[in-house]
Amino acid sequence: MWKTIIRRLLLMIPQILILSILIFIIADFMPGDPFTGLIDPNLDPAQLEAMRESYGLNDPLPVKYVRWMTNAFQGDFGRSFNYQQPVTAVIAGRLGNTVRLSLLSVILTYAVGLPLGIVAGRYNESVVDKTILVYNFVSFAVPIFVLALLMVWIFGYNLNWFPARGSVSISATTPWEIWKSQMYHVLLPAITTAMLGTTSIIQYLRSEIIDAKVSDYVKTARSKGVPIQKVYTRHIFRNASLPIASGFGFTIVSLFTGSIFIEQIFTYRGMGYLFLQSINTRDYSVIFVLVLFYGFLALIGTLLSDLILMAVDPRIRID
Amino acid sequence: MSNKKKYSMLASTAAVAFILAACGNGDTEDTTDNDNGAGETDTSEDAGEESSNGEQDGPQPIEFDQRVENDGEEIEGGTLNVGYVSDSPFTGIFSWELYTGNPDAIIMGYTMGTLLGTDENYQYDDSGAATFELDQDTNIVTITLQDNVMWHDGEQVTAGDIAFTHEVIGHPDYAGVRYSGDLANIVGMEAYKSGDADSIEGVRVIDDLTIEIEYQSVGVQMLQAGGGVWAQAAPRHYLEGIPVGELESSPEIRENPIGYGPFKVDNIVPGESVSYTAFEDYYRGAPKLDRIELETVPTSSAVAAMQNASYDVFVGMPTDQYETFKDIPGYTILGQDENAYTYIGFKLGEWQEAEMDGEEVVEPAQNVLDPDAKMADKNLRQAMAYAIDNDAVGARFYQGLRRRANSPIIPNFADYYNADLEGYPYNQERANEILDEAGYVDTNEDGFRETPEGEELVINFASMSGGEVAEPIVEYYMQSWAAIGLKVELTDGRLHEFNSFYDRVQADDPGIDIYQGAWGTGSDPTPDGLYGREAMFNYTRWATEENDEFMEQMLSEEGFDIEWRAGVFNEWQEYFMEELPIIPTLFRKAVTPVNNRVGSFDITVGADLDTPGAGLHTLYLTGEDRATE
Repeated sequence: MWKTIIRRLLLMIPQILILSILIFIIADFMPGDPFTGLIDPNLDPAQLEAMRESYGLNDPLPVKYVRWMTNAFQGDFGRSFNYQQPVTAVIAGRLGNTVRLSLLSVILTYAVGLPLGIVAGRYNESVVDKTILVYNFVSFAVPIFVLALLMVWIFGYNLNWFPARGSVSISATTPWEIWKSQMYHVLLPAITTAMLGTTSIIQYLRSEIIDAKVSDYVKTARSKGVPIQKVYTRHIFRNASLPIASGFGFTIVSLFTGSIFIEQIFTYRGMGYLFLQSINTRDYSVIFVLVLFYGFLALIGTLLSDLILMAVDPRIRID
Repeated sequence: MSNKKKYSMLASTAAVAFILAACGNGDTEDTTDNDNGAGETDTSEDAGEESSNGEQDGPQPIEFDQRVENDGEEIEGGTLNVGYVSDSPFTGIFSWELYTGNPDAIIMGYTMGTLLGTDENYQYDDSGAATFELDQDTNIVTITLQDNVMWHDGEQVTAGDIAFTHEVIGHPDYAGVRYSGDLANIVGMEAYKSGDADSIEGVRVIDDLTIEIEYQSVGVQMLQAGGGVWAQAAPRHYLEGIPVGELESSPEIRENPIGYGPFKVDNIVPGESVSYTAFEDYYRGAPKLDRIELETVPTSSAVAAMQNASYDVFVGMPTDQYETFKDIPGYTILGQDENAYTYIGFKLGEWQEAEMDGEEVVEPAQNVLDPDAKMADKNLRQAMAYAIDNDAVGARFYQGLRRRANSPIIPNFADYYNADLEGYPYNQERANEILDEAGYVDTNEDGFRETPEGEELVINFASMSGGEVAEPIVEYYMQSWAAIGLKVELTDGRLHEFNSFYDRVQADDPGIDIYQGAWGTGSDPTPDGLYGREAMFNYTRWATEENDEFMEQMLSEEGFDIEWRAGVFNEWQEYFMEELPIIPTLFRKAVTPVNNRVGSFDITVGADLDTPGAGLHTLYLTGEDRATE
């Protein structure tokens, strides 16, 4: 198994390299550069040109690429033009917000999805099941930005239950206050995400449970006299959760990617917000690092999913 | 099939999905914009109807108060909440030397302090923390500080701090954007910049409170804020130990900045909000408020925030949504002219790079007029100006917050603005007449005019996307030009995103004959940076000898006689509006909603800072909660 993991990790290197080249080329097609936005009669065009030169923006693409890669191998991922800070510092500043939001969303998603899926599967064709299915179809159909806008409007502005923007209140100073304020700010976006994130969990769980209910091992267990509750917790749930476990690797890495829609609408300054902002302002160095980071996470997510699947399903063996 | 294979395929799909997600989001943004645009198209039809119904009295340009006074008992201290409406978050560089974006200038305004006061023409006067004197004969500017100006850490602001700010910008390792020809004009600055000298020869500290700065040449524009004198101070004692190259990421700039303004920075949430507390030793007296909290609000939720009375003052309220917030109870809306104007530019030539002979510049980089350019005939330009009804655009699309511009100098420069110019009011008949006389007639019966030479005339129009009304206005302009028989098409058939728009305009893209843009003018009325022969920002590439002469006069020594200089400005505006390299289309108003619990608030340009409401230290509140009616 370790051999496989190492092989998979080694395989990531060329994948990441190809991704980086692609991003470099695509980013180069974007019109404008970080200094285009600084057109201002009070600034000396000569100074802007000098800065373009000093940031190496005028160099040909291969030169830029090789320079960036060389630096990156030494741990220097460049500076953000927008923030005038090392890219790593900019991203590190956002990561906390995003992880907090994603973590809460994931917890809420599973907290809602798992019981609903189990109930729907166990009592399928009942009124409860049908109600859950209706919820499932609605949450599948509603685009996240529609719900998010609705939530901000209702709970943020009209009812004033939650803050409508930001990640922490400026008047919070002690660590405890800051933590409280952060949780308060993260709650509404997390609930919104969770409300729409449950679709696949419920759907998979429900159909797997319905299948398992009539499978042979369940009949055997029942005929042996195993109580129904135990059959569900020990046998059915374990088998039915396999497809969910397979997606769990991605769920873990998605903690770090953030949601562009949610963060934009709630003006929540995490990774997704940073990504969009960087694209709009041509903050190349941030874009590169973010896309590479996302690509890397996607690869890691696949690997994790395989490993998790292996752990929960003894039938699967990676040679 | 093993699971492995299945998932490696998934992985590559996932990678693609990430890239697509990136593009997808861009698209979504665009769609939203378009939706807004489409929603506003109704307005464009209204405007069309309006003009076809003949001259009706539509909404007139709105006049705003620049000062509000609210009754009520003054409360002790209190917190003023400021909503800064902006879609670009602030970077948080608290340094006049190193910041780049406007958002940072806004958040610095509460805390950093300014050295020199200005009058209603943005001209330096003696109302600030220091006085200013310019000696024409010796080319020396003398800045004299008051003796009670303190940094937030208790140290006194001295002449050495003024020298320090020059040393930072001139430093060879300086990585900001503020170094300019104006600073290179200081004697010895170039030697210092290149590392040949350890100090700047022309910057001389006379005593603790007095500094002399010697320039190679001085001009009248240097009397103007932003006109060439770098009038700032940076705390030498606080920042001296940090290498200049590392200043902008140092905690002394980012987290615990100090200034000499009325409020001290208390807490910063990067990109989101800043809180300030009163600075008791402020040289004009301790602030009445205890605290100011500023938060960034995206334009999309600004109106909702105002309905909720979330803030006491809104800075940068989006004017294209004026209709939706003008009647929100609890607020008084103050307004003033922005230092900006919108315009339609005609491409008339090309930018020529400098001709070099080795290291020596034979011919500086400059704008070269092309007499054969498609838009070269000024009759054509004038006709196009008469054909569009900017009074209606201002009234209809901007609810009276913008109005037709009659000059490239904005009215805020009261002494220099030529209010008597008529400009180009809507007059379709006149437009047709001009074109007929100039020989632009429809020779092939296709409904559009041809050039006097009989060639087909298709004018390519480039404009930026963004904002609620960008698209309908462009549509309206094109319809108006079609109405006088000019075939105007959008470059590439669509609006352009900001970056690509300016990229192409600047590069003299042959696909652009005319374009719509806007200029912020800053606080110096001198137009040489925008319309001079050697100005790169002169995107029309318009350059004539007469214009050169005007520019020279504006910057000449006689210009120290303000009256004479104003005369030159007036003549230049007449000449400019006759030649019409650009059509100045709209003057713009900025609005500031102020909650009625704020005792008084004053946004008048050049107001005495000690007038209640004008200086931040004079602000006070009249209630514990924000007014909602």
